[in-house]
Parts: sequence; C-alpha cells; structure tokens
Amino acid sequence: MRNVQELTWLLLLVLTPRTKGGLSRPGKPTLTSCRSPEKETFTCWWQPASDGGLPTTYALYYRKENSEIMYECPDYFTGGENSCFFNKNNTSIWVNYNITVVATNRLGSTFSDSVDVDVVYIVQPNPPENVSLSVMEDKGWPFLRVAWAPPRKADTRSGWITLIYELRIRSEGENEWETHVAGQQKLFNIFSLRSGGLYLVQVRCKPDHGFWSDWSSPSQIRFPEYFHQEKSAWIV
Amino acid sequence: CSGVPIGDLLERAAQHSDKLYSLSTTLTHDLDSHFPPMGRMIMPRPSACHTSSLQTPGDKEQALQVSESELLSLARSLLQAWADPLVVLSSSANTLPHPAQSKIINKIHELQEHSKNLGDGLNIISGKMDPTAQTISSLPYRGGNDVGQDKLSKLIKFQFLLSCFRRDSHKIDSFLKVLRCRAAKTQPHLC
Repeated sequence: MRNVQELTWLLLLVLTPRTKGGLSRPGKPTLTSCRSPEKETFTCWWQPASDGGLPTTYALYYRKENSEIMYECPDYFTGGENSCFFNKNNTSIWVNYNITVVATNRLGSTFSDSVDVDVVYIVQPNPPENVSLSVMEDKGWPFLRVAWAPPRKADTRSGWITLIYELRIRSEGENEWETHVAGQQKLFNIFSLRSGGLYLVQVRCKPDHGFWSDWSSPSQIRFPEYFHQEKSAWIV
Repeated sequence: CSGVPIGDLLERAAQHSDKLYSLSTTLTHDLDSHFPPMGRMIMPRPSACHTSSLQTPGDKEQALQVSESELLSLARSLLQAWADPLVVLSSSANTLPHPAQSKIINKIHELQEHSKNLGDGLNIISGKMDPTAQTISSLPYRGGNDVGQDKLSKLIKFQFLLSCFRRDSHKIDSFLKVLRCRAAKTQPHLC
C-alpha cells in the first residue's frame, strides 16, 4: 500500500511538477530535426520537455564516426532558440554525427535519445530568390515569363549541388494552383493566361538528392488585357 | 566513342550515377520498412565498410581542390570495389526473408546493370584524361560469398552493405557532378 502511495506521489510529481510545488530533474528533450541548406553547413533543433520547475540549461554534444572525442555544440545562436549550428569548419560529409542533447537543472540531467546524422541525407535548400515576372510577347500574343535565381547559399556553379525547380501559378480568386516542372532551367514561360487576370506565382527547388525547399514568397502580376486588341485586329 | 566530347560523356555518366544513388536509396528504404529494431543496434558501424579505407574529400573545399583525374580515379575505385559485393547481394537476394523480396531482387539487378554501364563509361572517360585517371585503388571485399544463414544476420548484412553502397554511390555521384560542371564551363546555364 505504501508503495502505491509512493507511486502516486511520484506520478503527481512527474505530471504536475509546478502546481504541486514539487521540483524535479528536467524531462527528456527530443532532437526534432537536422537540416543542411547547401551540403556545407547544418543545423539541428530540439524540443525541450518539462524544466522540472527549475532554471534549466541545454547542451548539445556530438561525436563523429571514427572518433572517440565528444565535442560540444560550437554555436547555439545562429540557428535560433533550441538549436545548434555547425559552420563549414565543423561540417564534414559522408561521416555520421552521433548527436545527443542534455537538459540540466539543479536536481540533475536528462539525456535525449541520440540521433545519427550524415549531412548528405538531410539537404533541404532555401527557396529560390529574385523571382521576377514579366509579360513578353510572341507574335502579338502576350505570355508570362517567370525567372529566378538559385538560393544564394547553394553553390550550383561548381556542381557541388544540383537544383531542379518547380513553379506554381494561381489566379486571384481560384483555390487551385497549377504546377509546372522547370527542371534545371531558371526560366519558364507560361502561355494562355486570362486577359486582365491577377496572378500569383511561387517557385521552389530540390537538390539532386534531398528535399524540396519551401515555396518562395508569392510574386504577383496583373496580366494585360489583350482580347480587345486581338478583336480589333480581326475587324481591321 | 572517340568523337564524343568529354562533357557529353560526363553528362551521361552523371545521369547514371544519379540513378545509381536513387536506386540504392529506395532499396535501403524498402529494407528499412521491415528491419528489426534489434538489427539496428548490432549492425556494423559505417567505418566497417570495405571501402572506408579510401581517402576521399570530406567537404566541398577539399573536393574542389582535387584534380579532375584524381576525382575520376576515386569514383572508379569506389565503383570497382562494389563489383564483387554486388554479385553477393544479387545471388543471395532470393533467400532474403523480406515481404518485398521480388521488388528487392529486381532493384539489385538494376543496380548491377547501372554500375556496369557506369564503369564502362568511366573507363572511356579516363582514357581521355591524364594517366592519374587510370589509377585504381584496390579495395578488396572480404565479406565472403554469402550473407549469412539465419534470418537476422541476412537482413543485417543486406542492410549494412546497402548502407555502405548508398554512401559510396553518393560520393561517386558528387564527384562526377563536380567533373561535369568543370567540363561544362562553356555552358554556364547548366551549372
């Protein structure tokens, strides 16, 4: 019976550490994701659990494959809250990083499950940049030209990373996007748009081996009225 | 083939290596879907891969400093090192205790075929480069001719070999894509 009471008390302590005024070791943090935008640096993020009602600090430790040395995170600031950023000097590829986060307060420490990461398997670029929309004309018919640049950080020129692009377009008031695959091109022409329509366009990219970027923020353009001119051309 | 410009050959080679890596990725994922959690703990570390002794660049800066013929030599050495273990995988895939067995068999055959074609292509390319490109480091596979007797050891050995191959094919693909861009200096829209 006494054991049951103790257990209940313990559970209360674990589940409601603050309201009961009980203090405890921190809960177990979770490494949520790691991402490299360009195969040259990477960042890992974690999710803290309960702080046990006490000031709690977090530290990230890593050990590289083939090494017994444990290092602490070199940069807790660049990637924002609860993150660790590995700059170029601290990033190797084709090597596993064994990563663990430790939460510590006055009453003790709690370790996250450790995660093995090889940077080449977590590449997700930033969205394409400088998306520009312009109306061009082909034999009197207007069409839309979408042009963009690769994300600044991705070194596509040396071939270190190869990006393919996809764009989507939606006219104002419609819910459905129309998606186009652009391949490695940084330019795409869209024909048969509605005269006078207001259009939104977004572009995203994917490395040869990795994950799609987010969509670029929407660019907007009002397509010119062109049926009038066409009709009058017929009448003439 | 002597008339084909090296840039075109590298373009074709990079398409093959890209496919090779994608195949090895889907294969590791297929196997993963049915991999016992215990296997993960006792699977050998990546440093146990038979190709791990080959010194390869470990980041972009290092890779871009390596000469063209040396990059090609690294890619060829890695590819060559997989000829034997791919035969082992291929001949034992039909005993693999896995629900996706037939899918896995087909993909391993595809893998073998693509590596062979890529190897032939790289031989031709190396003939057009300076003699360093002809050098191949020997990385013998000493893992035996089978993948083990019991269910668990078979699954582990398959998963382990494929995870090694996945990393190596990623290296091969990365080196070839850097080479492709160096050869395509005249076509800046590609790189």
